[in-house]
Amino acid sequence: MTRRTGIFYHPSYSQRSYLTVGRRLAAFPGALKELLALPHVLVFEPEPVLDELILKVHTPDLIRAVAQDPL
Amino acid sequence: MVAAAERIWLGELLNAFAFIGAGGHHAGRDFFGGYCCFNDVAIAIERLREVHGLRRVAILDTDAHHGDGTRDIYRDDPTVLHICLCGSDYVSADGTKVDVAVYRRCFEAGARSDEVYLEAAEAACAKRVPDFRPDLLVWYFGFDGHRGDYGDLGLTATCYNGIVRLVLDLAGQVCGGRLLVVLGGGSRADLASSLIPPIIACLADAAG
Repeated sequence: MTRRTGIFYHPSYSQRSYLTVGRRLAAFPGALKELLALPHVLVFEPEPVLDELILKVHTPDLIRAVAQDPL
Repeated sequence: MVAAAERIWLGELLNAFAFIGAGGHHAGRDFFGGYCCFNDVAIAIERLREVHGLRRVAILDTDAHHGDGTRDIYRDDPTVLHICLCGSDYVSADGTKVDVAVYRRCFEAGARSDEVYLEAAEAACAKRVPDFRPDLLVWYFGFDGHRGDYGDLGLTATCYNGIVRLVLDLAGQVCGGRLLVVLGGGSRADLASSLIPPIIACLADAAG
């Protein structure tokens, strides 16, 4: 096993994070500057998952409702 | 979240911290709310189960509010241990779904709320997690219970730093250190900036 730590972060999280509570992550990723200098700390930008995977957990109605919600 | 869980499972990472754009633990199979859309942890678990053969996972939820969506999804699934620190006490018949009432204890503890909360987390996990023998440990970390945030339980960094040591120790004991920390609730940018980096530093220390 590789002894590395991953940080999963997308710039959109710092623009409008956690829906209604605004920009709580505005200082990121800058706030991680010292950690990101460590050779065994890696940053990854997550990508969307397929609806087929979401449907393993949620109903089609929930996916539709989330898509229609003004959030 | 899915990518983080997969990279841990495949051994590319020992542990990970996953930031989020929306919450997950209030999203059940057919409902959502509380700033949550999809249950990110559950989606990651299903991916690991289906593609990689994950058998058992333990989730410690220390967001200030009950992880009702996660509980809904895994209510009848004995391969998921779900321990939630919240407002009521409950243990399912098979012992895999556990709620620990911390609200009153923290309010009564006043300045000792960090100590009381951490003791409750340790007591809830100490035997259950090793006995369950999970393949992966997930910590659902919300900082909304910090003093002055919207779920104020009087907690401070002392508590969160204690919990990260707890989950690192447990992960080391039971699943080769495989630990996924998932950001949950919490609204204040100053708290995010002061609380999150030390937690990731602890993960990095464990991996380094």
